[in-house]
Amino acid sequence: MTPADPERRPPIVDVQHASRIFPMTAGPVAALRDVTLSVHSGEYVAITGPSGCGKSTLLHLVGCVDTPTSGAVLFEGRDVAALSEGDRSRIRLTRIGFVFQRFFLLPMLTAAENIELPQSEAGAPLSDRRLRTRTLLEYVGLSDRADHLPSQLSGGEMQRIAIARALANRPALLVADEPTGELDEATGDHVADLFDRVHADGTAILLVTHNPTLAARASRRLTMASGSILPC
Amino acid sequence: MTPLALAWRTTVRYRARAILAIVGVAVIGALLFDMLLLSRGLLVSFARLLNAEGFDVRIVATQGLTRLPIPDSAALAQAVRAVPGVADVVAIRAESADVRTDRGSRRVTLVGRSGTNANPWRLVRGPGLTDAASPAACEAVVDRAFPSAFGADVGAQIQVTALPSGQSALPAIGCRIVGIADFGFSASGEHTVATTMAALQRAMGDTREGDAEVILVSTAAGAEREAIVRAIGRLRPDVRAYSNADVVEQFDRNGFAYFRQISVVLSTLTTAFAFLLVATLLTVSINQRLGEIAVLRALGIARQRIARMLFWESALLVGVGALAALPLGGVLAVGLDRLLRQMPGLPEGLHFFVFEPRALVVHLAVFGVTAAASAAYPIWLAARLPIAETLRREIVG
Repeated sequence: MTPADPERRPPIVDVQHASRIFPMTAGPVAALRDVTLSVHSGEYVAITGPSGCGKSTLLHLVGCVDTPTSGAVLFEGRDVAALSEGDRSRIRLTRIGFVFQRFFLLPMLTAAENIELPQSEAGAPLSDRRLRTRTLLEYVGLSDRADHLPSQLSGGEMQRIAIARALANRPALLVADEPTGELDEATGDHVADLFDRVHADGTAILLVTHNPTLAARASRRLTMASGSILPC
Repeated sequence: MTPLALAWRTTVRYRARAILAIVGVAVIGALLFDMLLLSRGLLVSFARLLNAEGFDVRIVATQGLTRLPIPDSAALAQAVRAVPGVADVVAIRAESADVRTDRGSRRVTLVGRSGTNANPWRLVRGPGLTDAASPAACEAVVDRAFPSAFGADVGAQIQVTALPSGQSALPAIGCRIVGIADFGFSASGEHTVATTMAALQRAMGDTREGDAEVILVSTAAGAEREAIVRAIGRLRPDVRAYSNADVVEQFDRNGFAYFRQISVVLSTLTTAFAFLLVATLLTVSINQRLGEIAVLRALGIARQRIARMLFWESALLVGVGALAALPLGGVLAVGLDRLLRQMPGLPEGLHFFVFEPRALVVHLAVFGVTAAASAAYPIWLAARLPIAETLRREIVG
């Protein structure tokens, strides 16, 4: 499967008129308003916009960690809101890879163990896990850092390990929330190169970012404001 | 990576918290363990003392094991000896006496026993009383501390003056020490001199055989003790016969109930403290790691696995603490036991803190439940964690 002509294929995720309202003591806050978005296999979509415009909220809906207040999110054709927490958890484990701004590697595990953890949860045999972890460490260029704890890694290295962890179970979609937000420009560029490579290898990517250079690398760029996707 | 391995890594990672919890549980656990030892310690120790004498049934004049003479005890002892299943019968009488040696004079408990060679004490040195000795001779078995206190060991001659009512003008009789023994019911710091009933009577100036205060009966192997107790009751309805189990039960109901109650109250309190300590530490720890847990959930790690990880964390903290509590509690129990046994009048062989396997089982069971209960709230917190909201808060924070 190639990134070419993605619209002909059924979307991995299909957000249909989704709104997300957060109840607050001072009154409800609409973080998303009637958003419609599809991400197809092999696509690379970047969403930009000012802080508080709803980018992360949309990412959480797409990543199946949240459900819309109204509208629907279909992941590979299944209504996420109708799924049990166990099913949503399984989708997150096997079909979605998450990359966070603050890396969120487990501090008590080594780089290799962080990559191995989702595979272990998915029930992959030990030998397969070890092989896949080695492959991914090579893929992100950190084979020599396998046994290092996150506290012994630089920010850029931690984010590369986080990307390797996100790819551990060969997800259909990689979602990334400000993946270069904590990195300097040069390191951010290295991470951006890695995303290009992941995309080139066939994994769909949806990322939200303030970084225009990173967004420019995407095949589709969307802009959000006040909880809505602005028309192109 | 298994939940246990994750829990272990987390425990090692948050070392200070883990050490604090383990030390806290160990201290609380030591107290709980001691309460468990105390709750039945006196009772078990008392039962052991009774059983160590080798007699199964004791006959006294009235209910409650008070020291009163049994009227016509010699005839009763003779009759009991004939009861089927009875192996041996020994009549005992105790009086105060003064013992004089080269080092001066001191008060002792003078015990006379009639009957066979069976003795309600454990001989540790010397030949012991020989009933074949001439009636005019006085042989004496003394307690372990006697030789150093009186400067008289086996073979030495001592002068014994009986004091039937505290003060006496009775003449002293000479007795030869023929053995050193452990007297289970001798009070700590007090001395015991045991002799034959005949010698005791001579010391008392009695011309006729006096009445014993206790008749001890040992039963033959396989004999039914309760049937023997009933048979003695039929022989002499005016006396009371108790099996050792009866005596222990009576003390359990009366004398030891206080210790049991106080230990139950203190055990409950210490368990509650252990629960609060571990539950608080785990809850605080979970609140500090909400982002980490939200990430685990976002990555698709199942709630059950996270719950198991938290349970193992609790089990590791409580388990290591509870195990460390055992030697700590043991040392504490030895010290407390030594302190409490200094109370005057307590039998030397009686202990307040006595180890029983049952105490270990209860200790481990209580801490098993504490570990599970302590983990319950943190697990509930982690299970209902709103992933997206927590991730957002972590980013903003």
